[in-house]
Amino acid sequence: MTPHTPSETPLVQMIDIEKHFGGIRAVNGVSLDLYPGEVVGVLGHNGAGKSCLMRILSGAMLPNEGSIRVNGETAEIHNPHDARDLGIETIYQTLALADHLNAPSNLFLGRELKTRLGNLDDHKMMSETVRILKRLNPNFKNLTDPVSSLSGGQRQVIAIARAIYFDVKILIMDEPTAALGPSETAMVGKLIKQLRSEGIGILLVSHDMHDVFELCDRVIVMNKGQNVGSHPIEDVTKDDVLSLIIKGELPHDWVPRSQEKPQ
Amino acid sequence: MAVFDRSAAPPLMTLKLTAGSFHKLSALLTLAVLILVFSFGNAAFFSVNNGLTVLLQTSVIGLLGIGMTLVIITGGIDLSVGSVLALSGTITGLSIKAGVPVAPAMMLGVLTGAACGAFNGFVITKMRITPFVATLGMMLIARGIALQLTGAAPISRLGETFGILGNGSLFRIVEDTGGIFPKVVFPGIPYPAILLVVVALLAAYLLNRRQTGRHIYATGSNEEAARLSGVLVDRTKIFAYTLSGALAGLAGNVLMSRLVTVQPNEGVMYELDAIAAAVIGGASLMGGVGNISGTMIGAFIIGVLRNGLNMAGVSAFIQQIVIGFIVILAVYVDQIRNRR
Repeated sequence: MTPHTPSETPLVQMIDIEKHFGGIRAVNGVSLDLYPGEVVGVLGHNGAGKSCLMRILSGAMLPNEGSIRVNGETAEIHNPHDARDLGIETIYQTLALADHLNAPSNLFLGRELKTRLGNLDDHKMMSETVRILKRLNPNFKNLTDPVSSLSGGQRQVIAIARAIYFDVKILIMDEPTAALGPSETAMVGKLIKQLRSEGIGILLVSHDMHDVFELCDRVIVMNKGQNVGSHPIEDVTKDDVLSLIIKGELPHDWVPRSQEKPQ
Repeated sequence: MAVFDRSAAPPLMTLKLTAGSFHKLSALLTLAVLILVFSFGNAAFFSVNNGLTVLLQTSVIGLLGIGMTLVIITGGIDLSVGSVLALSGTITGLSIKAGVPVAPAMMLGVLTGAACGAFNGFVITKMRITPFVATLGMMLIARGIALQLTGAAPISRLGETFGILGNGSLFRIVEDTGGIFPKVVFPGIPYPAILLVVVALLAAYLLNRRQTGRHIYATGSNEEAARLSGVLVDRTKIFAYTLSGALAGLAGNVLMSRLVTVQPNEGVMYELDAIAAAVIGGASLMGGVGNISGTMIGAFIIGVLRNGLNMAGVSAFIQQIVIGFIVILAVYVDQIRNRR
């Protein structure tokens, strides 16, 4: 675990974020901090507002109220382009791949490499794709095929590669292992640990308690559009987290587990 | 390392070979069979002169088809090109009548087309109207303006210079026999055909080698993914519609120049020929698929069919029926390919 000192500047501060759709308050005054080299699990029921909150940070959605600071400075995120410029990368649950394009075209979509004349440098994009995929999945063969012909796991690898190839500082992962088999899940786990050691902050949206307790330093639980708890992972048990997710509060007899006297 | 050796090939070339080759091959085969059949039916069909005539006749559909292909790849459709063609020609004609020299007048016509296209793009992206409805509206608007401005009457006596673009040709070889009519050794390559080749090459370059082209494919393939990847989807779409409008304007000037008369009634249903050319060439109306070479083959299939059936004395009505079946057949072949 990498505990952060209070004096350290958070990578991201989301402050009093509000988002409503008509009368529905999807996100209701939520604040969230993320520090360098920290993996924070974002948990909650479907519809608790966690995806909404993540979409706001990644620029896919605009908040009605609230502000976002990156490295202590107020950030204006109006679209995914802005977020990427700030080093915020997102791996969407839907993967967000263009099915008719091949792996390199998807990996570099929106940030294509160009030659000096401004033409697409497909050669360079291909060799860079080979390089990065070798790190993630050495058995990747179908680089020239449209990604629609790839397996779910391979598509996921491309989505991950796209997020970490560029200068990522803050990584949002929305259910990154939902479509993966055991070996690929282990690969993602290894990758998360490696990125953390490089000082990258990771927000991990997941329903998988095992993943969360295995990978996260801290959990944030959302319930009915509100942040109902932010706890270091060593202070809570799975039951505590489930209680937060379902009831929106900790068990009444809860004390931070790390301060519990051994019995 | 065998895995990585494959990467030596440029990815897009390989992509086209795997996905589009079957369709393009069958389309090319169809074209060859058509030419063969018509040549047997009429000796005059397979001649330099008639070849150039086909080239000339196909240039208008080809130009419209190129713009249509860009739009279709983004997942849209442009029903307005036939009307925009007429409006652009009308603006050129009226400008010449008002004393503007031919070249700038034609430029004005093309700009009018581009403006119509940009308006389409604006309505589709900013007002969130579906492409079908937006361009259907423009189809009526542009035709209406053209008819209103001219009172539905043709504009003639536009001068010889106006006819050069549509009737002139390069490398025309004429032998002076001393008689009234000089002997034409080689009729020359018509300017419209040269224009078509140049525009087709530029469009193919745009689609395959430029970022904008890649974004056109991405937008049609998965609009949400493209947006989340930082592609400026709206701007990409507006660009495609503007280019389609400009090419319709160019096609309008070629057509009217060939007639040396501006006809505000010209180009009715041309959009359907352009769509047919793109679809025969393998473009998918679902977006994300299509290319210029395919559309060119499609345009020539339509052009050769029209020309061949004309020479065989088949009525224009039967021609429509035949082309209709060809369109259905082309899409059916495409579906079989995708199911494999």
